[in-house]
Order: sequence, then structure tokens, then C-alpha cells
Amino acid sequence: MKKIGLFYSFGSKKTAKIAGIVYNSFSGDDVQLINVDEVKKEKFLEFDNLIVGVPTWFDGELPNYWDELLPALEEIDFSNKRVAIFGLGDQKGYTENFCDAIGIMATFLEERGALIVGKTAVEGYTFEGSKAVRDGQFVGLPLDQENQARLTNGRIEYWVGNLKKEFI
Amino acid sequence: MKVLQDIPVPKTFTIKNTDKVILEKWFYMMTLGRMIDEKAPNYLKQAIGWSYHAPYAGHDGIQLAIGQIFNRETDHLFPYYRDMLTNISAGLTGEEIILNGISKAADVTSGGRHMSNHIGKPEWNIHNVSSATGNHTLHAVGVARAIKYYKGKGVAISSQGESSVSEGYVYEAINGASTEELPVIFVFQDNGYGISVPKKDQTANRKVANNFSGFKNLRIIHCNGKDVFDSINAMTEAKKWSLENQQPCIVQANCIRIHAHSNSDRHDLYRNDAELGYVQESDPLLKFKRMLLRYERFTDEEILAIEAKAKEELKVAHRNALASPDPDPASIYDFVIPEPYPASKYPEGLHNFSGEKKKLIEGLNETLKAEFRLNPDTFIWGQDIANKDKGGIFNVSKGLQKEFGTARVFNGPIAEDFITGTANGMSRYSKKIRIVVEGAEFADYFWPAMEQYVEMTHEYWRTNGKFSPNVTIRLASGGYIGGGLYHSQSTEGALATFPGIRVVYPSFADDAAGLLRTSLRSEGPTLFLEPKALYNSPAAATPIPDDFEVPFGKARIRREGTDLSIITYGNTTHLSLKVAERLSGEGFNLEVIDIRSLIPLDKETIINSVKKTGRVLVVHEDKVFGGFGGELAGMIGEEAFEFLDAPVRRVGSAFTPVGFNRILEAAILINEEKIYAAALALLKY
Ligand SMILES: Cc1cc2nc3c(=O)[nH]c(=O)nc-3n(C[C@H](O)[C@H](O)[C@H](O)COP(=O)(O)O)c2cc1C
Ligand SMILES: Cc1ncc(C[n+]2csc(CCOP(=O)(O)OP(=O)(O)O)c2C)c(N)n1
Repeated sequence: MKKIGLFYSFGSKKTAKIAGIVYNSFSGDDVQLINVDEVKKEKFLEFDNLIVGVPTWFDGELPNYWDELLPALEEIDFSNKRVAIFGLGDQKGYTENFCDAIGIMATFLEERGALIVGKTAVEGYTFEGSKAVRDGQFVGLPLDQENQARLTNGRIEYWVGNLKKEFI
Repeated sequence: MKVLQDIPVPKTFTIKNTDKVILEKWFYMMTLGRMIDEKAPNYLKQAIGWSYHAPYAGHDGIQLAIGQIFNRETDHLFPYYRDMLTNISAGLTGEEIILNGISKAADVTSGGRHMSNHIGKPEWNIHNVSSATGNHTLHAVGVARAIKYYKGKGVAISSQGESSVSEGYVYEAINGASTEELPVIFVFQDNGYGISVPKKDQTANRKVANNFSGFKNLRIIHCNGKDVFDSINAMTEAKKWSLENQQPCIVQANCIRIHAHSNSDRHDLYRNDAELGYVQESDPLLKFKRMLLRYERFTDEEILAIEAKAKEELKVAHRNALASPDPDPASIYDFVIPEPYPASKYPEGLHNFSGEKKKLIEGLNETLKAEFRLNPDTFIWGQDIANKDKGGIFNVSKGLQKEFGTARVFNGPIAEDFITGTANGMSRYSKKIRIVVEGAEFADYFWPAMEQYVEMTHEYWRTNGKFSPNVTIRLASGGYIGGGLYHSQSTEGALATFPGIRVVYPSFADDAAGLLRTSLRSEGPTLFLEPKALYNSPAAATPIPDDFEVPFGKARIRREGTDLSIITYGNTTHLSLKVAERLSGEGFNLEVIDIRSLIPLDKETIINSVKKTGRVLVVHEDKVFGGFGGELAGMIGEEAFEFLDAPVRRVGSAFTPVGFNRILEAAILINEEKIYAAALALLKY
């Protein structure tokens, strides 16, 4: 398996914590942590395996640090890259837009050639709507620290297990 | 049904492709706006004014966008009290904003009459809107109706917060725009709160726009109101779509409220530190600035230069605004209501015409038709206004639709506030327009429209004479038809308490025709009350000259006398005339004055009569308590006391609702016997 770039905001709260758990689920030097608060777009070119951490904010939006970065990534060719997305959200408080950001990121990356890996089943979550759901499954891994924190570790472990197979 | 909600919005403007000149303009306006937004509270602290300030910080993207897509040549904009940047983006200067904030005479919105932060510029079609949250949605729909009728090239844009969408009239407005397919954009700036109330207490959907997803012909667009590009793209698309399809659109913009609701609100009482922190971090202005730098559209130096320029404008604006004069207290009576049509053909509203007698209903119907023939910019709507041979609930408008078509004569939904509010809105399109509404099927069904009625009375004064709704509100009034509650009651006691509207209540066919003609030719609103019991009454039928017109504020002495003055109007004119007749048989000579218009009131005729008779009986159908007679009696007591030989007495209905059973109705409403008894007592006093 080639080196994985794990892109998330070091300045985020819960996402940063979760990124640490994801990191630890791989063996030490498989993963490089990259801070999207100050990343240059070229950094994305360095990896064929990427993990993207994106919480959903404000009723279905990307957090600013991602939103401001996307125009820079518009011209990047993601084909031949495998991207897995995990996202934090709150299925009770924001049940109409649960983890929308996962879906927004997936669409953006797919439009630029990426192969989205690490899709997960919707079973075990209760929500009304999500842009992250396509063809009956999530296009990434939703994690809900507000309502299902105790399921998080297990979910990550299972997900990482699959990623190890899906990454090249 | 075509789902109009999921149509994607093209990304026309991006950080990379937007022309630098445009970006500079945007950043300049956003910076200037924010400087004023932040400085506003200082004016209050220094006791200069601006006691109401609702900061817009956090709504920057959508407000910039609304102003940018607005074209003052073709569009009509209805900004709300938080829309400072919307106004700047639409072209107002910093100085104009401050003049409004500190309520100076030169304030372009209202000359200091309206609350601060309610910014507009009526001459640019940026309307001066009410404080009653969201009621301008009806005005936007009304003006959009005119835009469509006159084939205008623009749209109406209404802007409000998400919480005020809870108001019933907002639903009426959007329903009407969807039914009539009108080019109007409703912007909901969603900051999550209505003062301290979180939006979950307003409606079940977190995005209230989705409540309207079942409405036909309505596009719904969601955008990030904190993001300049997403907002501009959403508004650009909304306008393009509304113009092309001639249909309404809702734009719900996700915003944050960085500060408290206003300067009288302490948001730390209901928001925790985490929230206060993350809203600061999500500041849209800082985001835009970061983007301008990150994508190398501007250098640090260029940004600093723009900020310095905005600071300089603010400095000069502040200095000029402080030096600008305050409004003159002597001006308070200016622009309460516009000068009416002079009706100079019949300066006293009297005639000697002796043709065939026409019923009151014919007088109204024929006058409407004559005026509609004369003025192509006339419109009438209401409930049951027209369907085949039906023309109005009482057939007053019979034949109008056939002759003038469905675009000028049409049914309204069962929504009195909508009927009234869209009249106010439509008349904004052009001063030429004259609108007649049957405000309700029965006058006492008018209460749902009270809010728009009040609004109508404020407009001229609040805009410092820049706008008056040229609307005649017709209401079939009063009882004596066995109608019971909501079909028999008198409303003028309540409706005549608002400055800013004329109130007339004819009792004969000729006066009805003459007053209606004058109303239809005048600027400003007129409440036209029709005694429905007299529509077909032979007693109210008179000859009517074809061109008859009655000036406002001219009473008519219906019978001359020397012993007692009965001051009356409406149904009770006829009862009073009968009593006068009966008492003449008993040797008394009564004078009966039909005031015809309550506002303005012909004090002169009344006082001259009192001088002659020394005794006054005020008679009306409305309740004595709280009825208009209190004003008449009060005025006579104050201005003609020395001519009185007896106390002024009043007769009217009981202080109860009007019952349905004829026995109850008769006991409650005033009748000949009651007038007779009171008159006799006064004569013998
Ligand atoms: C203002 C606000 C809006 C939110 N909106 C959503 C949302 O639309 N959908 C969702 O699934 N979670 C939403 N959340 C929940 C966050 O995604 C969740 O708290 C997450 O753990 C935050 O991660 P972070 O601390 O890394 O930013 C929202 C949280 C806040 C405070
Ligand atoms: C008819 C009416 N009711 C109540 C108020 C008092 N009021 C003023 S602002 C406001 C909150 C409105 O919230 P929202 O529509 O979400 O707009 P925001 O102020 O949050 O921008 C209320 C209740 C009012 N102005 N008008």
C-alpha cells in the first residue's frame, strides 16, 4: 500500500481528535498528516491514497477551511487517486443535513476523476436527509460524536480495515 | 409536478474568474458597510441617536448579492431592518446610511420619521418598509403583479429574516405569487434566531423555505449567505429564472448573527461561549478577504488601500451627517394624506339633476364602469368579484370583468390581508394607477386585513410624502339584513382612528357615486363604506348626474331645520329623516346633516347647524361606546359649546355583537323609536 495523505484541519476540534484515531488505526508510517488550514494544492498531488476529514457545519455546509480551499483544487486531476472521506455530523440536531459535507466533497472529487473508496452502510444511523447518501449507502464514513460517540472506535476500525483493501 | 427545488445553480462568479474591478467594488462596499455597522452603537452611546440598530454582520454575502442584482430602473426592492449592506450594495452612500441612522431631516428614507435601520430610497424603488416583520412580502407581490401586467423588465425582491416567515401574511404572499405566477424573489436571511427565539420554535423544518416545497410555480434556492460567490450566484440565478419564467423564487440564505439581535438585546443571555466563538470565526467579511489574498486577486497593500478609502468615506459621511439639520417639529402634519382630487365641478357636492332615480348599487356600479373606461390604469379585485354573471358578493361590480377583462377585474383568494396588502404594493409601480378593492365580502370580515390597513395609513407620512397607496377600499357595511355576527356590524368606529386614510360613508345613491368618483381620482387611500342594507333600497335611490363628484369633507344638509340638529351618516340618515318627518308633525323642525365623510370632517357645516339649533343629537349605527359619534360629540362640545342649549346626546347600537335572530338584531341595532325618544328628550330639555 502506498503512503496515505490524511487531510484535515489541525485547528478543528472533534475532527482533529478523530483524525488521530484514524491515524493510529494504520501502522505508524503508512499515513502522513496534513493540515488543510495551510496546505498548498501541490500537496494533494503527492498521494495516490487520500483520506479527507470534513465535518458538516451550518445546516449542510463545508467548514470555511475546506470551502476556501476548493477553488485551488478545481484544476487538480484526481484520476488514479483513491479518496476516502470521513465526516463528523449530528444526526439528531441536524437531521435534515446529516453529514452533507461528505457528499459535497465526494461529488467535487469525483468530478475531478477521483475514485471514492470507503463507502459505508446507512444502517445504524437515524436521520432525515443527507447529501452523503448515494444509491443507498454513504459515500464515506459518518461519525456522530454528539449522539453515537461510543460507536466511533468500532466504526473507524471496520472502515480502516476496508480501506486497507481498497487503497492501492 | 415539475420539481423546481433541485435545479442546480450555475457557478457564474468565482474567486478566480470574477473581474478585479468588480471584486474591488464588492470589497469596498462590504468594508464600508461593516465599518458603519460597527460604528452605529457609538451614536447611541454618545446620545446622538440610532437607538435601534440591528447589525448585519454575518449576513454579508447575501446582502451584497441582493443589492448587486437590483436594478433601480426596472426592479423593486423591499429591504428589512437588518439590510444595511443591501442598501449600500444597491447604491446608497455611507452618508445616506448615517443620515437614516441618526434620523436627520435629509434622511432619504423618511426624513427621520421612520425607525433607524429601516433604510430605503423610494425614488430608486428601494421601498421604505414597515417594522411589522415581513408584511412587505405582500407589497412585493403587489408590485410584481404590476410589473407583469405592464410587461416591465424587472423583478420585485423582498428580504426578511427566517423567523418572520412564520407570519401568516408571508404564506399569503407566497401563495399569491405562486397562484398568479409573479416575478418576485423572496429572500430569507436565516441567522437561526428571531431575537432570542431559536428557529426550531418557529417551524418544524430547519430551512423554512422547504415549507413551501409543495407550492406550484415556485423555485426554491438555498445558498450560503455568508459566502459572497454562493450568494451572488444564487441571486443572479433567482433573478434570471424569475424574469424568464415570470414566476416567483425563494432564496434561503444561510447566515449567522455575529452580534446580538439589536442594541437592546443581550445575546450572552441565551448563547454560550462556544457559539459566540464560532460565529466570530465564521465572519463572512474575513472569509472574503482571505480568499482575495489567497487567490492573489489583491495584495495586502491593495486591501489596505481599499480599507483606507472606506475609512475616509466614513469620516466625511460622519462629519456631514452630524452637521445636517434635524427634522422640524412644525412639519409633523406634513404628508399625513395627499391632497385629494378637487372635485371642483360640484364644489359643495350638491346637484339639481332631476333624471330618473337610480339605486345606490347602480350608482356604484356605473361610476366604477365610467371611471374604468376613463382611466386604463384602474384595477379592482376582491373575493367573489367576478365569475360569469356574478360581480361581487352583492353584485356591485357586475359586468366589470366582461367589459374590462380578467387582468383588471379579478377574484382574490380568501385572504383579506393579501387583498389589501397587494393593493398597496401594486400602486407603487406608477402614480397613475388607481386600485379599488373589495376589502372583504362583509365589512366585518375585514379584520384579518387590519395589519395592512394600518400599513396603508402609515405610508405617506412614513415616506415623508414620497409614496401614497392610491387605493379605495370598499366595504359592504352595517346591519339590518338579519346577518348576525360578521355580517352586520359596523367597523368605522375602529377604522376611523388611524391618521392617514379618508373615511366616507354615503347614504344615498348620488353621494355614493360622487364620492366613489372622487376616491378613484384622488391620491392616497380612501375607506369607502357602503350601507349594504341600502344597495337596493328605493329610499336611497336618487337621480345621479353622469359626472357627479363629491369633494371629501363636505357634509350634506338633507333636511333644514331650526330646533335640533341630527348629525348622522349611513343607514341612520334614513332613520333620522323619518324621525324628523314624524316630529315635524308634532311641531318640531329638525335639521338632518349627513356628514358623508368622517375623515376629513366638515366641521363648518356641523357647527353652523349647532349655531342655528342649539341642540345636537349624534346618531349612528355603530356602537355608542367607541363609535365615531364620540368624536363628533367631543368636537361639538369643544368647538361649539357656547351655542348649545342642551347637552350633546348620542344614539347608536348596544355595546354587544349584533345577533342573528331578527328579534335580537332589532334589540341591538338602533331604530326609529330610539332616535325619536332621544330627539324628543333633547327638544324638551
Ligand atoms: C452551528 C453548527 C451547525 C452544524 N450543522 C451540522 C449539519 O448541518 N449537519 C451535521 O451533520 N452536523 C452539523 N453540526 C454538527 C457538527 O458537524 C459536529 O458537531 C462536529 O462534531 C463538529 O466537528 P468539528 O469540531 O471538527 O468542527 C453542526 C454543528 C454546529 C455547531
Ligand atoms: C409583526 C411583528 N411582530 C414582532 C416584531 C418584533 N420583532 C422585531 S425583529 C423580530 C425578530 C425577527 O426575526 P427574523 O425574521 O428571523 O429576522 P432577524 O432579526 O433575525 O434578522 C421580532 C419578533 C415585529 N417587528 N413585528
